[in-house]
Amino acid sequence: MIFQINFKSGMPIYLQLVDQIKAAAASGALRPGEALPSIRPLAEELRVNRNTIAKAYSELEGLGVIETLPGRGCFLIENHSGLRKEVRRKLLIEEIDRAVVQAHHLQVPGPEFLELIHERMQVLDAKRRANEDHKED
Amino acid sequence: MDSPTPVIQIENLAYAYGRTEAVHDLSLKVQPGRCYGLFGRNGAGKTTTMKCLLNLLRPQRGQVRVFGLDPAQAEVAVKGRLAYVPDQVVFYPWMSVRETLDYLASFRKRWNRKTERELLERFRLDPAQRTDGLSKGQRTQVALIAAICPETDLLVLDEPTSGLDPIVRREFIETVIGAYQEGNPGNRTIFVSTHLITEFEGLIDEFTIIDRGRVVVTFDSDHARERYQKIRARFAQSPPELDLKAAVRVRREGRELELIVNGAGPELLKRLRQHNPESLTTESLTLEEIFFATLQS
Repeated sequence: MIFQINFKSGMPIYLQLVDQIKAAAASGALRPGEALPSIRPLAEELRVNRNTIAKAYSELEGLGVIETLPGRGCFLIENHSGLRKEVRRKLLIEEIDRAVVQAHHLQVPGPEFLELIHERMQVLDAKRRANEDHKED
Repeated sequence: MDSPTPVIQIENLAYAYGRTEAVHDLSLKVQPGRCYGLFGRNGAGKTTTMKCLLNLLRPQRGQVRVFGLDPAQAEVAVKGRLAYVPDQVVFYPWMSVRETLDYLASFRKRWNRKTERELLERFRLDPAQRTDGLSKGQRTQVALIAAICPETDLLVLDEPTSGLDPIVRREFIETVIGAYQEGNPGNRTIFVSTHLITEFEGLIDEFTIIDRGRVVVTFDSDHARERYQKIRARFAQSPPELDLKAAVRVRREGRELELIVNGAGPELLKRLRQHNPESLTTESLTLEEIFFATLQS
């Protein structure tokens, strides 16, 4: 998978990697059982510290998104979230609150915001379906 | 919990060449496994600091510890655990690349032949070539091979990439990340001085900016990029009169305002939002922009 690092985003590099892997897993661009790039070539390619990549992977492992098989590398786990439902809801609520605040400041009214959420979920679904179709080919 | 012994600890270091003070009251600490940048303009005192670490100069005031040891008292113990790539690489001109590496390997307890072979290949270096026929870039590559093969705990790089072409620079950084950090990455520490900050951006965990021999700031890189932001606001009419003293720099251009902030971002954003700007954007500064911002304010 191909990553994009943006030093101007204000988000720590390891979190950018975490987010991109989560997004790839959600859209099906990365499938359960598929291997993540190994640390050394990825660090060399992105020209970032190896510890940054290792930190991203260990964060994902802690979240139950990937697993490390000693000597073989890191792999995406099926139905990955091992967290309890209320914890998952709480994590999601934090993200939603952030988007709600942002919508307020950008003067996007409530109904339009909800519409946008539907639209974005459809986009993600479409991506998933496209990735599924490729898999069956 | 006891914190581990810092790999490098400099306390109140001072050094003057005659009456010219090169380093004044400089303190910093590098923890194991970190990649630490020492940033400064030419003549800021970077090389003098490096030389004190390597016992090429004796501190006139303050103290320097490497692996908890005084490099002047325990020179062999310290140098056995570090490797150094200077900005000007000098070899015996009559030796070939092969002889130079064998000669340098003879001073080392360990020498990874496999890494040596891989790097010679990667850099497309001819082992039979005499070192006086090498370009500046190739010389730095040989010095880098000699610094990586002993697999030391600390790698000291003094302006390693200045004067090299962009491709050699990129390969250099990739090699430091790939080959040096390969074994035991948690314990491989890098201390690099440079004014070419952009290319080391992703590698640097923590850095100190020095100017005229003094520490200006020390930051964790992620934290610095979070604190230092560029805020742009555009208003329907000319920008309101606002208290912007908390910003490092303010630029007004017609209906637009551009602020550079250091930590005061959230507060200033709130203040700007109250005046309903047409657009309001923020982005983090890169380490190089932070370098400019701190030295110009």
